[in-house]
Amino acid sequence: MKLVVCIKQVPASNDAKIDPETKRIIREGQKAIMNPFDTYALEEGVRLKEKYGGEVIALSMGLPKAEAVLREAISAGADRGILLSDRAFGGSDTWATSYALAKAIEKIGDVDLVICGKQAIDGDTAQVGPGIASHLDWMQATYVMAVDGIEADTVIVKRMHEDSYDVCELRLPAVLTVVKDINTPRVPTLKGRLAAQKSEIPVWKPEDIGADPDKLGLNGSPTRVVKTQPPEPRHIDTLRIEGAPRECARALVRELKRRGLV
Amino acid sequence: MRYHIENKIYHIEILPPKQDSENLERDLELFAEKYTRVMDSGYCACITDNAMGHLSFQGTEMIEELGLPVYPEQVMIHLNTFHTREDLDNILNYCIEKGIKYLLVVSGDGSERLPKLKPSDIGAPGIESVTSVELLQYISREYLGKFVLGVAFNPYEPEDHEFAKLKRKLAAGASFIITQPIIERNAVVDRLIAKYPDIPVIVEAWMSKKLHLLSDAVGYTIPENTGFDPIATLKLLHQAYPQNGFYLSLLGFKTQYDLIRDLWV
Repeated sequence: MKLVVCIKQVPASNDAKIDPETKRIIREGQKAIMNPFDTYALEEGVRLKEKYGGEVIALSMGLPKAEAVLREAISAGADRGILLSDRAFGGSDTWATSYALAKAIEKIGDVDLVICGKQAIDGDTAQVGPGIASHLDWMQATYVMAVDGIEADTVIVKRMHEDSYDVCELRLPAVLTVVKDINTPRVPTLKGRLAAQKSEIPVWKPEDIGADPDKLGLNGSPTRVVKTQPPEPRHIDTLRIEGAPRECARALVRELKRRGLV
Repeated sequence: MRYHIENKIYHIEILPPKQDSENLERDLELFAEKYTRVMDSGYCACITDNAMGHLSFQGTEMIEELGLPVYPEQVMIHLNTFHTREDLDNILNYCIEKGIKYLLVVSGDGSERLPKLKPSDIGAPGIESVTSVELLQYISREYLGKFVLGVAFNPYEPEDHEFAKLKRKLAAGASFIITQPIIERNAVVDRLIAKYPDIPVIVEAWMSKKLHLLSDAVGYTIPENTGFDPIATLKLLHQAYPQNGFYLSLLGFKTQYDLIRDLWV
């Protein structure tokens, strides 16, 4: 089967800076990592490939430096990577981004399953996976916590709720967005990392995927960001308990009771 | 391990490159240089396993990919509990294939990105989480007679607790002990040596000038500007522990390596 895993390069979590003019995240010059949720999507793709055979293609859209997360994906088991990178993609909101990714998936061709992380840690929208499904007119399941099996032309998944889950059967091709509970991502091997360094990462531009330029970038983005600001840092109330071990244990229990935690 | 002490074979810690290395080729070259130097000196290269929870490459894959030679008396692999069962067995089988027999078995620091062995993975039901004790039991049972297993001893932990833990580690198959780094004669290490006269104890000497990095290990803050002479300290430790082996952590290969040659007399 042919699996596409969508991967986003995001600023390392404490590094996000916002452009006051455009209200968008400044990506140039920022330390960047693979979106943590996408590592679970990638791992699931690789596990499905190992179980059912086929190919995993890592797909990303971003600045040229986003090539790094595709190499990371290859080192963790993807067979190849494709980067969508061009000025025309710049400023795309989730709708325009999912349009571009969907066009790339069409160009790849014969894709059975697209897997995305449930959301990116920079935008936190959780819209791109569903957007891809919408553009492709494919079935989708979000918040997937387990892929129970793939048979002929269907995939069976569990969708996570707060204290329960749905079991869903989807016709393939389909799009899944996954949560952290789905697996534990493998750590790339040295062999994989060395192979990834040698891999060719093709860069596709709008014309390569047959995208309508009016549907890309700021022009193709219906979202208008009115105001953006990083969240207030969390204040953690720390209490240091000192003294003899027995007294410390008593004080700890008292404090936990006072806070209604036990 | 007695052989190492009798033949004055230093245990030299080498850290494999980190997963997020920005210049992997350079870091691989550096690792290979250090490893080769340790081999050429007749010392024992001790390769860490995601030390301090930093994601790094495994010692075994470094040896494999770089084509480094293995002399059985000169390689020790650290092994912690942050592996899948499959990876653990792959590492152990590779060690057997290459003739690596010394393993330092530790619980490890772990990280969000690292899988943790589950009790059911290694046939240890009824416990909450796998520690070095269960890992030792697993290796001793499943790889009977294939390895010489060592364990860590922390003189900065509450003493009764640490000795009780050590007793369980020894019962689980450990046959040598490596201490946490010390910088002077340590009363708890003295008691350890006295308590287990038949078990080789390797004293870990801190070789970085940045003594404040030891703060976490010792459990109190060492100011950043604290002066420290690692070579002079190593000399003193040799005098204090003439019957023991030595494990050198964070040894400077450029500035210190040549200076240790004649210290162990």
